[in-house]
Amino acid sequence: MVVRIVIDILLALGVFFTAVGVIGVNRMPDVFGRLQASTCIATLGTICAMLAAVIHTAVNGGESVAYVKLGLILLLVLLTNPASNHALCKAAYKMGIRPKKELVVDDYKEDDLQ
Amino acid sequence: MIEFLIAAILYLVLAVGLLYRVFRGPTAADRMCAADSLDLVTAVALALYSVYSGRSIYLDISVVVALLGFVSTVFVARYLEGRL
Amino acid sequence: MGRPARFARWLSVFIFCFLFWLLLTWSVAPRELFWGAIISAVVSGFTARFFIHARPFWLYHPKRLLMLLIYCVVIFPWELIKANLSMAKLVLDPKLGDYQAGILRVPGSKRIRSTYGLAMVSNSITLTPGTITMDVAEDEEGDIWYYIHWIDVAETDREKAGEAIKGRMERWIGRIWQ
Repeated sequence: MVVRIVIDILLALGVFFTAVGVIGVNRMPDVFGRLQASTCIATLGTICAMLAAVIHTAVNGGESVAYVKLGLILLLVLLTNPASNHALCKAAYKMGIRPKKELVVDDYKEDDLQ
Repeated sequence: MIEFLIAAILYLVLAVGLLYRVFRGPTAADRMCAADSLDLVTAVALALYSVYSGRSIYLDISVVVALLGFVSTVFVARYLEGRL
Repeated sequence: MGRPARFARWLSVFIFCFLFWLLLTWSVAPRELFWGAIISAVVSGFTARFFIHARPFWLYHPKRLLMLLIYCVVIFPWELIKANLSMAKLVLDPKLGDYQAGILRVPGSKRIRSTYGLAMVSNSITLTPGTITMDVAEDEEGDIWYYIHWIDVAETDREKAGEAIKGRMERWIGRIWQ
């Protein structure tokens, strides 16, 4: 019973943080803000749901392959998502997209690494 | 376990919100950012549905979806940067 | 540090591949072990030169593995939860748009020199919502600089900003990859 409550709370948290990410992607004014908000989906939105699934399979004695695979999905997402986010952010900057509001500091333009 | 089904449906409903940004996004980078998140949400929903239905074939599909999303995002980012 | 011997490189990747095989198949039947060993040997023969550049057995050390476990289970999730909550506050705020974004050049720690350590620090920074690493550069004096896009700049002084963004995570990673 306690396990079930924990699973429900984890699932609700996952849906909440995914909703935060989706709202952020739709509300933010420029690409950089959208990228920042979409990190919420990749981190807590995924971690909480996968943790709930792992706990459920481990407690109810599913196939052992199942929770190893669930953990593998989580590991892959956490390892690959920062790389794609970083690549998109850099690409957007080099395409010439600038934020709607002026940046407070912009060391990247001053040092000119292109 | 009905709550896994409910959570998977909620994730898919949230994915529709991301689809709106894919259609609306003014630049290609906006669309790609939303599409990357869309991949993640779909993979998580598939994994949750596999836990609900007890069939592990959806887990394999979920792994493939997550990996393909990463590869395609990196490729499009390299292309937009002008280095491909 | 010279280039490590070929066999040491191969053995290091082989151990990692074989442990991963054991994790995925989850059985100790002799047939599984045999095929796992053969496939791991072939795969690590092809890929060892991409993974190991120096110090092949650095991570296979109880103290460092324990540090890695503590970092992945306690330190990093705590930073992640804090950053996620502040991001949620920023997004759900009715009047969006009074945040001040900026790209800062932040000094890196002198202890972390290896590529794995640098990759781990920049991936940790990117995974916390609110900060994205845009580039890592090394200047003429050999100092490492991270270019970080920060959604809500609270500190324009570079040293203090670096401490606020990644101070704790970098100290822990410095204990793993020196």
